[in-house]
Amino acid sequence: MRSCAASWNARERRGAILAAGCPTGAGTLSSAARPNTVIEIDGLSKRYAREVFALHDVTMRVGRGEFAFLTGPSGAGKTTLLRILLRQEVPTAGRVLVDGRDLAALGPADVQRYRRTLGFVFQDFKLIPRKTVFENVIFALRILGVPDVQQRRRTFQVLKWVGLQHRANAFPLELSGGEQQRVAIARALVNEPVLVLADEPTGNLDPDLALEIMNLFREMNAGGTTVLVATHDRELIHHVGRRTIALDHGSVTESA
Amino acid sequence: MIAGLTYFVTEAWASVWRGRSAAILSVLTIAIAAFVLGLFLLVAGHVQRTVDQWSRSAELSVYLRDESTDGERAAVRNVLRATPSVAAVEFVSKTAALARFRKNFPELAPATDSAADNPLPASFEVRLGSDQSAAAVERLSARVSRMAGVADVRYDRRWLDRLVSLGNFVRWTGLLLAGVLVLAAALTVTNVVRLSLYARRDEIEIMELVGAPLSFIRGPFVCEGMIQGGLGAVVALALLRVALTLSAPRLSALAAGLFEVGRIEFLSGLSVAGLIVGGMAVGCLGGLVASRRIH
Ligand SMILES: Nc1ncnc2c1ncn2[C@@H]1O[C@H](COP(=O)(O)OP(=O)(O)OP(=O)(O)O)[C@@H](O)[C@H]1O
Ligand SMILES: [Mg+2]
Repeated sequence: MRSCAASWNARERRGAILAAGCPTGAGTLSSAARPNTVIEIDGLSKRYAREVFALHDVTMRVGRGEFAFLTGPSGAGKTTLLRILLRQEVPTAGRVLVDGRDLAALGPADVQRYRRTLGFVFQDFKLIPRKTVFENVIFALRILGVPDVQQRRRTFQVLKWVGLQHRANAFPLELSGGEQQRVAIARALVNEPVLVLADEPTGNLDPDLALEIMNLFREMNAGGTTVLVATHDRELIHHVGRRTIALDHGSVTESA
Repeated sequence: MIAGLTYFVTEAWASVWRGRSAAILSVLTIAIAAFVLGLFLLVAGHVQRTVDQWSRSAELSVYLRDESTDGERAAVRNVLRATPSVAAVEFVSKTAALARFRKNFPELAPATDSAADNPLPASFEVRLGSDQSAAAVERLSARVSRMAGVADVRYDRRWLDRLVSLGNFVRWTGLLLAGVLVLAAALTVTNVVRLSLYARRDEIEIMELVGAPLSFIRGPFVCEGMIQGGLGAVVALALLRVALTLSAPRLSALAAGLFEVGRIEFLSGLSVAGLIVGGMAVGCLGGLVASRRIH
């Protein structure tokens, strides 16, 4: 077990650390049997229409506990890659392993089980407008079959972490864009995922807010969660200073 | 399990309430179908009861040929007596028949006085037990009329036959009409559920992304159809009840002449339950069809 305390010091301004423990997926990482590579992609191609490749022969790795940016111009294939990782699309060719799981081998029920081990954040927040902030977050736990008390405790914990515990009973549309995205991040983390995938999470936010959101991703990564963020915001990437995987016209051009 | 059901029902109810202008549409189409079905069941039920009552009070007259032998008469009497649905058998001789005729129709008596021969046949008058069906009487009558020495069997049959066919006609017309309406109602429910499916497509995507089981995603929609169906049936029954109460004075007078049933009665508890369950089943089907889109 790694200690949460060290990695959570950065978050003191929110004072969110609960005695219950670190709100990240670190706890799930103790198993020694897990592979060291969380994302393992080999020769991945995706073609929507004939002759038009959204992705072409992509090979890449993202290690456990790593924070990587996926970047590239519009139409490069970033969203397509994330949708394949979320199993919303299936590859035309190639092999995709996530946490040792071959995505091609998953049946419908396996897909559900697989997705429960992920977290996702999108540009448009994807919150359910008629549910409160609290309900939006706890929803992801409910399907895991966790006992009720634990669900509530965990939900408060992550909401506190993103600094929104006082807005738990508000509805998403009563929140600012930055606050909504924080709710989405809380939901992505509530199930202690192995991997969090984010597609332009700061696309709708102004630069200051964008940095604040990035800090949340950094913090969750510091807690042990593997993070892959797609963005074309070069400045933001530079500011955060993490590994960058660049795509262009469906091919990897840089994987430093 | 219980928590899951509660979730489905509360989600579904919230959705019905949010989409109430569309939901009213499907509730009403279900209500119309259930109303028509209920009305026909009501009428057919009364016709049926009248038929039963008539056949219960009916008497069977077995007219004998003048030339029939004592042996043949004894055989007929034995068959009648051996039939469980027969309560009593009385022999009316030619002389007794004439005497009764003269008593019943005194103004025609002189005509029979002058007649050389007594034109009235001897007969067995059969009183039927109160529990036999029209079909059983029918069988008995057919059997006896084929026996030697029997000239004719009279029974208020024609009227009963007509009533029975009227009852069947009412029932089948009702079922056919209701069937068409139920189909329309099911289609409406399907489309209304589809509307709320569309309204909540983002929500469905989110549920899929967090890995919610299919039943968890579909459940509320199926339940939504079921609620609409059940509500429709309840509305129809309430309308039927009100309509019956309002028109009761006029209907009773009509019914007294038409049906041998004291008063108009509402549907039986079984029919009421059947209509509600049926409404829910149709709604459920609509919800299932609509939510098959989620996969
Ligand atoms: N559903 C689809 N059907 C057909 N083509 C698609 C579909 N989705 C994406 N594409 C095509 O695939 C290519 C890659 O698209 P993708 O959305 O992955 O790019 P992106 O890197 O996310 O771009 P952006 O930065 O604008 O979001 C584009 O050429 C796009 O037109
Ligand atoms: Mg994109």
